[in-house]
Amino acid sequence: MKILEIENLSHRFGGGTFGNQEIDLSVRRGEFVVIAGPNGSGKTTLLRHLNGLLMPHIGTVRIAGIPVADDLRRARQMVGMVFQDPDTQIIGETVYDDVAFGPENLKLNRKEIERRVADALSETGLSAFAARRPHLLSGGEKRRLAIAGMLAMKAEIAVFDEPFSNLDYPGVRQVLSAILALHRAGKTIILTTHDLEKVIAHADRLVLMAEGRIVADGPPEIVMAETERFGVRQPCTFRNGGRIESWLS
Amino acid sequence: MAELNFGYLPGDSFFHRLDARVKLIGLILISIATLHARMAPLLLLLGMALLPLFSIGLSPVKILRELRYFFVLLFFVFAARSLSTPGEALFSFMGISPTLEGTLMGLLVSCRLLLIALAGMLLMATTRTWEIKAAVSRLLAPVPFIPHARIGVMIGLTLRFIPMILHQVRQTQDAQRARGIEARGFFYRLTRLMIPLMRRTLKDADSMAIAMEARCYAEERTDPQLNAEKRDWAALAGAVSICGFVILL
Repeated sequence: MKILEIENLSHRFGGGTFGNQEIDLSVRRGEFVVIAGPNGSGKTTLLRHLNGLLMPHIGTVRIAGIPVADDLRRARQMVGMVFQDPDTQIIGETVYDDVAFGPENLKLNRKEIERRVADALSETGLSAFAARRPHLLSGGEKRRLAIAGMLAMKAEIAVFDEPFSNLDYPGVRQVLSAILALHRAGKTIILTTHDLEKVIAHADRLVLMAEGRIVADGPPEIVMAETERFGVRQPCTFRNGGRIESWLS
Repeated sequence: MAELNFGYLPGDSFFHRLDARVKLIGLILISIATLHARMAPLLLLLGMALLPLFSIGLSPVKILRELRYFFVLLFFVFAARSLSTPGEALFSFMGISPTLEGTLMGLLVSCRLLLIALAGMLLMATTRTWEIKAAVSRLLAPVPFIPHARIGVMIGLTLRFIPMILHQVRQTQDAQRARGIEARGFFYRLTRLMIPLMRRTLKDADSMAIAMEARCYAEERTDPQLNAEKRDWAALAGAVSICGFVILL
């Protein structure tokens, strides 16, 4: 069953340049999709259409069959988003408050909010940090906090915009583990990156973008042969003809 | 990110547990009382405001550091008062003659402003932004023709942005110091600070607004629970008594 359908999406910025052009993309429930492309290829612009932060000038985005524009609140509840810069995503003054921010906006009762926050913190291993100031967390912990916020909203689709940028090796492993746990729990994962090495071993599908368009889409082992033509480096092991290994192995 | 100034400090002190409405009313009462207070009771109030700040973990050095720019303002207020108030000249140097009456008045006004700043700091350090938003909204709710929810949101967001702006100031200053700006004059440094600061603050504000939108932010949300208990009423009665005492003395 398709959880996300994008039909003929084009987005033009104020200056007249296109952020996205003629995008067609469908994602099955539970699929793990990596969208790769160089800087400026339109990845972030595309992601922002998934929960109505941007609206297409042409085309439609449907989440579980319903156009995003018809019910923005539903789309934002169903599509959880982790932004590239986690600092600008932190709203609460404590870790607990930040995770509670989304459920409070959904006007849930206090008991349900407390239950959801406790579950989300436990699933992301942040329970011990509940009373801490989020700005003092490490990079990996901040991303896990954003994931906890998404879990507390009960999002169906987890969208990650360059989740590994500015992270050290342990941070990458922490975040990757959290993403895989979401995937195992049945969530649909959509992740953008220009660094395939860290995540491609786990993806079901690789979508390549260049100049605002989708230029390749298919199983990673096939699409990866084309990545360097479009400014995305192939993983070392793939270049050497080896098998791609997980960063967690 | 370094520790934020003027922000919430997680804790479980008496002031942390007080109802935000009581703290807000207390701040208003203290502000009114200081306008009528003489020097002796004002110094007493200053001492009383410092004690709870120390008790929540703010050291004198940290308080001085947090208020260092405010002290510049106090100096100008003091200087203006001592030079513009007619009276007995203390001394005369190059045509500048501060008066005894002006100096005393300048000290009094500076102490009043300092007390309000300290009380505000205590409120900010012990109260979450969303509790302040909820308190403002609840206190204004009985007033007809006032959009209380919207005013609460505006105040909440403004308070939320203060630590962010101060963080940007520090980052911009560090970047400029790294390129030797300390050798230049005060006004040059000020103009070089303001332009990038404005640009970065607006960019951050934009990012935060997007992050809040992505998590379904709305005026109507589940606010933090505000329950006035015996402790809160006792604190309010204490604040009223102290302020009354200060005015009458």
